[in-house]
Amino acid sequence: MFIIDKLAYSSKLRYKNPAVKAAFAVGSLLICVGARSFVISLIILMIMGGLTVLSGRISVLRYFGLLMIPFSFLALSTLAIVFNLSEQPLNLFNIPIGTVYLAVSQNSLREGVLLVVVALASVSCLYFLTLSTTMIDLLTLLQRLRCPKLMVELMMLIYRYIFVLLDMASAISTSQKCRLGNKDFMTELRSVGQLLAVLLIRSLKKSSLLYDAMESRCYDGEIRVLNEYRPAEMRDAAGVAGYLAILIVLAVIL
Amino acid sequence: MNDQEKSSGQEAVLCLENICYTYEDGTEALKGVDLNILRGERLAIMGANGSGKSTLFLTLNGIHKPASGRVLFCGGPVDYSRKGLLDLRRKVGIVFQDPDNQLFSASVTQEISFGILNLGVAEAEAQKRVDQVIEELNITAFREKPTHFLSGGQKKRVSIADILVMDPEVIIFDEPAAALDPKHSAMVDEIIDELSAKGITVILSTHDVNRALLWAERIVLLDDGRILSQGTPEEIFTNEALLMRTNLEKPAILKIYESLCDAGILSRQLTLPRSADELQKIKRGEKLSQIKRQY
Repeated sequence: MFIIDKLAYSSKLRYKNPAVKAAFAVGSLLICVGARSFVISLIILMIMGGLTVLSGRISVLRYFGLLMIPFSFLALSTLAIVFNLSEQPLNLFNIPIGTVYLAVSQNSLREGVLLVVVALASVSCLYFLTLSTTMIDLLTLLQRLRCPKLMVELMMLIYRYIFVLLDMASAISTSQKCRLGNKDFMTELRSVGQLLAVLLIRSLKKSSLLYDAMESRCYDGEIRVLNEYRPAEMRDAAGVAGYLAILIVLAVIL
Repeated sequence: MNDQEKSSGQEAVLCLENICYTYEDGTEALKGVDLNILRGERLAIMGANGSGKSTLFLTLNGIHKPASGRVLFCGGPVDYSRKGLLDLRRKVGIVFQDPDNQLFSASVTQEISFGILNLGVAEAEAQKRVDQVIEELNITAFREKPTHFLSGGQKKRVSIADILVMDPEVIIFDEPAAALDPKHSAMVDEIIDELSAKGITVILSTHDVNRALLWAERIVLLDDGRILSQGTPEEIFTNEALLMRTNLEKPAILKIYESLCDAGILSRQLTLPRSADELQKIKRGEKLSQIKRQY
C-alpha cells in the first residue's frame, strides 16, 4: 500500500486531471466486468498495463510484482471453479477418487480462465488509477462529485495520520527490539500487545493536540482548504471518451 | 514590570493578570501568572519541561480559558465567545513544537490555506496569499510533495507558513529548534529574525541559553507555573543564584567574557557581549586603546 502511495507521487501521469483518469479507469472497469469477455479483458489489461508502465514510468518489474499480489489469491479461488467433484466423468479430464471424480470440463476450464483474465483486467484498471493519481487528488475529486463532506474530511485526516501512526509504531517497535522484545514468540506477542495499547493512547493524545492546533487556526468544525485541481485537457478527455465508446461497441459486437 | 514601562513606553499587546489554570486531571499548570507582552518585542520564555510554557501559550490564544485571572488583548479583556476567540486567534498564532501535531493535511497547499480560509477570505485572494508565503519561506521546491515525505525541517517551514499566512500580530513559537539539524534551525532563526524586523511580536520558548542571550529583548523564567523572574538577558544570565535554581547554564560567551575579565585581559564593559562577534569587537577595541596608550 505504501509503495503504491509513493509511486503515485512520482508517476508521470500525476498532473493529469483526476476526473479524466477516474473516468478512464472506472469506465474500463465497468465495461470489463459487464462484458465478461476474454478479448475485451485482454485489451483492457494491455492498455492499462501499457499506460501505467510506459506513460506513468512505473518499472515493469514493480508493476508485475503488484499484479502478482491479487494473482496468487485469484489462482487459489479459480482452482475451486475449474475442478468439480462429480459423480459422472466430465469431458476434459477426470481423476477418480473413490466413487466420485475430481473432474474438469471444457466449460469449467473456460470459466476459470475467463475469471482470471477479467479479474486481472479489473485490478489493472484500479492500479492505473491508484498508481497515477495521488490520494489528495482523489479526495478533491470525491469532494467535487458531491461526496458527503464529513466523509471526505475523515478520509483526509485518516490518510495523513496513517503515516504519523506508522512512524510512531515503527519507532516503538524498534525500541522494543533493542530491548529484546522479540526474543521469543510469547515475548513478541506481549510486545505487540503493548505496542498497540501505547499506540492507542498516543493517538488519542495526538488527536487532542491536533484539535488544539486546528482551533488555534480558527477551525470551526468544517475543514476548508484550497484544492489544486488541474482542468482536463480536451485531448485527454476526448481520447478517453473515444476509447470507452470503442470498448462499448466491441462489447456489444462480441 | 516598572522597568519595562519606563524603558519602552510601548503599549502591551497581550496582558496576563494573575492567571491560574488547572487541567482536568487536577494538574495546576499556571499558578498566578502576571505578564505584559509589549507590541513588537522579542520575548523568550524559559523554564524546565512541565514549568507551564505550553499551557501559557494556549492561554494566550484562548484555547485554555483561565480558571481565574484575566487575559487582555490590546487593552480589552478577551471575549470567550466563538466570535471573540476567532478574533483573538487570527491575531495570535502559535507554531507548535511538533509539526506532526499541527499538519493535518497531506497536501502542502491544503495545509497552508486552512487558516486563511477560516478567516473568511475569498479563495482567489487566499490562493495569492498562500503562493506568496510559499515563496517567502522557500517552500516552492517541495510544495508538490505530500507532507509525509517531507523532512523535519521542511515540515517546520510548512508549519510556520500555516501561521504566517494568517498575518498575525503576535507569533508564538513553541521550541522552534526542537529536533532540527543546525542548518534548519538556523533557517528557522532567520525566519524569526525577519518577523521581528517586520515589527511582529515574537514569543518563543527555548532551552538554548546562547540563542536566548543573542536574540531576546526580554527573558521570562517560568518555574512550576509561576514567573520566577524576568528581565533583559544580561540581568537574567548574570544572576548566579537564579541560574542555579532553574538549572540553566550560563551562556558560553558570558563565561568566556567573565574569565577574560577576571584574568585581566579585558576590562569590564557597560554592555555585555551577546555573541562571539561582539566579544571579538570588545577585544579589538581594547587592543586598539592599548596601542594608543603605548604611543
